[in-house]
Amino acid sequence: MESRMTSRSKPSILDKPLSKGKGDLNLSSFAFLFSEMVQYCQNRVHTVPELQQKLSDLGQHVGFRILDTLFLREKNYKREIKLLNMLLFVKTTVWKTLFGKEADKLEHANDDDKTYYIVEKDPLVNKFISVPKDKGSLNCAAFTAGIVEAVLNGCGFPAKVTAHWHRGTTYMIKFDEAVILRDKNMEGR
Amino acid sequence: MVIYSVFVVNKAGSLIYHNDHSPSRPEVEKTFGYPLELTLKLQDERLLVIFGQRDGIRVGHTLLAINGEDVSGTKLGTDNEKNVMDVLNDQSNYPISIKFGRPKLSSNERIMLASMFHSLFAIGSQLSPEPRSSGIEVLETDAFKLHCFQTQTGIKFIVLTDPRQGGVDAILHRLHELYADYALKNSFYALDMPIRCELFDTSLQTALEQAEKSGVYSGV
Repeated sequence: MESRMTSRSKPSILDKPLSKGKGDLNLSSFAFLFSEMVQYCQNRVHTVPELQQKLSDLGQHVGFRILDTLFLREKNYKREIKLLNMLLFVKTTVWKTLFGKEADKLEHANDDDKTYYIVEKDPLVNKFISVPKDKGSLNCAAFTAGIVEAVLNGCGFPAKVTAHWHRGTTYMIKFDEAVILRDKNMEGR
Repeated sequence: MVIYSVFVVNKAGSLIYHNDHSPSRPEVEKTFGYPLELTLKLQDERLLVIFGQRDGIRVGHTLLAINGEDVSGTKLGTDNEKNVMDVLNDQSNYPISIKFGRPKLSSNERIMLASMFHSLFAIGSQLSPEPRSSGIEVLETDAFKLHCFQTQTGIKFIVLTDPRQGGVDAILHRLHELYADYALKNSFYALDMPIRCELFDTSLQTALEQAEKSGVYSGV
């Protein structure tokens, strides 16, 4: 009570407009945190696919929370309706906010209508992690795949996203049938 | 300007990483006539020269090969049948060509030597007349220079280089950085265990090569 009376000249924190936030974080801090996260999941699972699933779940927590702030800050409250625009939004804006750079490539699968690929040569989360031979196919970018999955699901484009070792790291996005049909109908209009 | 090897010792004194960047083991091959002027003795399962130093063959050098065939222990060649001492004592085998040199360190020997250095380092810092001594930083010999850097957490980075190599402090700090990056931030690395991280290996190789290249210019 007293502090608010004396600081009448300075606007209280509730009166200040919402800032954009400082977007930068020390890479080492994040690397240590992520390394602990992987170890935490490692202690609770017995197989590699379970570990990837746990990392993906953690990523989904992040994805849900960042979705609204992103649309608020970057897209001025306008939500994406078309599939391709949504994917471009993920590739550019989401990546830029999270990692400071855009993803390398966005591709459509030749044979399958429902599958898209985002290719990244050097994911930030894998920068310091050397996977030992006995863990084989583990890719810690499953965390980023979880983020993408939550973003897409939250926007009304239900999909499954997985991370693979292909040309660096490839995120395979598999949309539901309904999404593709709806998009096609919209194109027709 | 060569960097011979890198060792990383943890705070308990055991070796957790080593890298032989440019191995430099002197080897001399010569032809001898009967009788052999060098005296050989069996020690640690190896035949060592203990007397008769000449022509580049020094005391302490081990018998490495006879007539091109490698010697393992006291047996000659891959079939491990002939005893080396018998071959050398038999006059009919002469003139014979024998290779002497310093043998490559086995991993057990490396671990032992690293622990020994750890103890010497501790003794050095205790003996120092000044309080709060930094311990052994440089050990110079006429063939090489050993640089040691101890971090706040007790990890020691030891680098063996050519005596003329400059900027080794920078190399040691860079090694510490690489350790903090690729070993400590790796989820699959347990503290104080042997470092088995690919990224650490590759980035260490690049750093050493870079240091060697720039070492040439600083030497001139």
